[in-house]
Amino acid sequence: MNQREYIHLNWRAGFGAMPTLIAASKKLSKKDCVNELFDTSRKIEPIQIDLSDFGDYFDIPYNKLKKNLGEVDSRKLRQKSQKKVRELNFIWLNKMASSEQVLREKMTLFWANIFVCKDTHILHTLKFNNTLRRYALGNFVDFVKAISRSASMLKYLNNNRNFKKKPNENFARELMELFTLGIGNYAESDVKEAARAFTGWSFKPNGEYVLKVSKHDTDSKIFLGEKGNFGGDDIIDIITKQRACAEFICTKVYRYFVNPIEDKDHIKELTDVFHKDYNIEQLMRYLFMTDWFYEKSNIGVKIKSPVELMVGMQKVIPSVFKKQNQVTYLQKMMGQTLLYPVNVAGWKGDRYWIDSNSLMFRLKLPALVFNNAKISLMSKGEFEDTFNDFYKEKKQRFSVDENDHAYFETHYSNLSFNELSDALVVPRIDADTIKMLEAYQSQNSFQYCIQLMSIPEYQLC
Amino acid sequence: MKRRDFLFKSSMASSAILVPSFMKAFESLDPRLFGYKKLVVIQLSGGNDGLNTVIPYRNDLYYSNRPGISIPKNKLIDLNGELGLNENLSPLKSLYDKGNLSIINNVGYPNPNRSHFRSTDIWHTASSASEYLDSGWMGRYIDQYGKKPYSGIEVDDSLSLILKGRTINGVATKDAKKMFNNAKTPFFSKVLETQTEAHLSEHNLGYLYKTMVGAKSSAKYIYETSKTTTSTKSYPKNPFAKQLKTTAEFINSKLDTKVYYVSMGGFDTHANQANRQARLLKTYSEAMEVFVKDLEASDSFKDTLILTFSEFGRRVQQNAASGTDHGAANNLFIIGKDLNKPGIYNDSPDLSNLDNNGDLKYTIDFRSVYATLLDQWLGASHSKVLGSSFETLDFI
Repeated sequence: MNQREYIHLNWRAGFGAMPTLIAASKKLSKKDCVNELFDTSRKIEPIQIDLSDFGDYFDIPYNKLKKNLGEVDSRKLRQKSQKKVRELNFIWLNKMASSEQVLREKMTLFWANIFVCKDTHILHTLKFNNTLRRYALGNFVDFVKAISRSASMLKYLNNNRNFKKKPNENFARELMELFTLGIGNYAESDVKEAARAFTGWSFKPNGEYVLKVSKHDTDSKIFLGEKGNFGGDDIIDIITKQRACAEFICTKVYRYFVNPIEDKDHIKELTDVFHKDYNIEQLMRYLFMTDWFYEKSNIGVKIKSPVELMVGMQKVIPSVFKKQNQVTYLQKMMGQTLLYPVNVAGWKGDRYWIDSNSLMFRLKLPALVFNNAKISLMSKGEFEDTFNDFYKEKKQRFSVDENDHAYFETHYSNLSFNELSDALVVPRIDADTIKMLEAYQSQNSFQYCIQLMSIPEYQLC
Repeated sequence: MKRRDFLFKSSMASSAILVPSFMKAFESLDPRLFGYKKLVVIQLSGGNDGLNTVIPYRNDLYYSNRPGISIPKNKLIDLNGELGLNENLSPLKSLYDKGNLSIINNVGYPNPNRSHFRSTDIWHTASSASEYLDSGWMGRYIDQYGKKPYSGIEVDDSLSLILKGRTINGVATKDAKKMFNNAKTPFFSKVLETQTEAHLSEHNLGYLYKTMVGAKSSAKYIYETSKTTTSTKSYPKNPFAKQLKTTAEFINSKLDTKVYYVSMGGFDTHANQANRQARLLKTYSEAMEVFVKDLEASDSFKDTLILTFSEFGRRVQQNAASGTDHGAANNLFIIGKDLNKPGIYNDSPDLSNLDNNGDLKYTIDFRSVYATLLDQWLGASHSKVLGSSFETLDFI
């Protein structure tokens, strides 16, 4: 496989390409390389977190817990749970950087911004996150059904408060508008009817799905032209029958994995493949095997999300972000905190990551963290903060230790400056910028690597 | 307008301005610096309890709902025989007496959202509760009026959605010198200096270079214009007062910035609200008092209007922790020199007619406040910025 194409594939299907693998790819066919991606991602390794010491928190409803333990102790457990969600953010980011299932992790990140959800309950959040990981390359119809049953989603879009006597349309609406069909492909009456079909959907304290039969509306519904005594699963089956659903998801896939500028013909090709059986793996295989995926106009044109930027740096220096606080602040400064989306529509991506401040910060980031600088991170405070906490300066010392340097020595130092540049920077670097970089070539490769990461081209993949 | 419409328009608009000579356009700064109206928007972040800020002290329901945290009649500053100011807002009373303060009650929107994130999102983008927009209303204003990154400044270190436009994003800085130095680092400058225009035509890469150029020239302009103006007023020593001091210095230096945004944190008072809110309101009003005097001393107050809002009010009934939970409609403050309707703008909150959550119902849509500011203060067309038409008010 052509080296540049291999690097492109691995930035889109993952978070960058290892130099040793780039070298080896020369002898492999495109098919081999694509197969390899799927083979290594076959395994599903859920994130595991120690959730002991939570007492009955995961077993009985919160108001009962409050009666048993009193307000103070039950609130402590709730705060502990919230704290664990922040820990999950750190664990997840590290998993992306270290997992062998590169494609599965990239897909998980992608789906997290389709099925957007936020929760402060650690067990439910963890289960939701692992559901994304489990179905990331699976069947989309099953995926939607699993997501709809998850406690986090039931809460986030109020479907747990959707009752026959008083339907709540929030979930039904977003299911169609943001998760499957897109606006214009259903009527207001379809939202009402779908909401009825999802009445009574609920969950046990441990997050297990349960249907509250007495709250469920078993009467006939008319949905997208079909009539029957539909339940929630039937609604999802009818939605996914629509070609609009396949097209909606394929457009998202195209914009995320290929190019933020849509190409109608290519999206149509993908839709044809996906609509047949909603097999996500087959869709992605097809995509990575097309010729157009490797066209020049699709290489190095995507602005990395803050998380992609950070994970890409971690791939070069694995333990650059050692502390949970560091990654929290960096994500916040750059506008993407995993597990804390701003709203159900998710992050808009691409150019929306960039303003004067975020770009200047992103450009300086590699030099700061790889040169052991102390960064004064003045991300905005939280809504819940006190006045003093809101304005508190968060100084963070970053350090690259001996192990990191040894890792870099092993994997990158043997490369020529050109090879290093090819491995790290995806778009073609402008002639003037190359000339400027030449001034830095007297440095060692670690310092040169920092310079490469500091040019605007590194912001793209 | 829906998110997807914005996406479409923004991609159209941004490719249109990517002409090779834009670098020069960015560098040449418009010398028309005078006569512009300024708007300063302050968010009391976390959800300020409006009922203990402007107190309906004649209303028995106020006292019966808040046995532990209500403000007694002898500890407030009467305004109109019906509403009283929290005593920690005493500096605002003199503004009120001078006709420089207008209090608008019951501002909100249909189907209120009680999440800090989402409700802030709604206030920032001026969307309805069921829309998700990509850009902020102040950002869309500078898209059309000002058209430079520094046309809108957030006095902070990172930019909020409220100042992100479709084609232009505002700039965040609370230290012009620091930002100027950041944009002056050798590598950053060198990348720009050595850049030919050929590179700039490329899609996303061109966008990055363009943003860098904009950042650099904005940092230079803001620093060089404002560096000679140092406030002589003595502000209280706290970060919020510092933000206002910086804002005053920017305004008094005649910086060609039209809109400013500042957020002040700490208002999420779920527990032991009384002391905490008291300190916050004191911090707010003392800083505001100096800020107004500072503007007056440079004769800028007549051209500056200050809006103070919070993403939501708080529940009428207190909670078990001597605090209040997230609510809905709230009051907001307009501060300015020549207000058309100073004082209490509209009816007091109706505590006998609450929504299902026990929260105040809105009587004025927040977008009507924005529309009024846009049309009658900033000389804009509000429907262009907000995406549709709203009734305007007559407080200016």
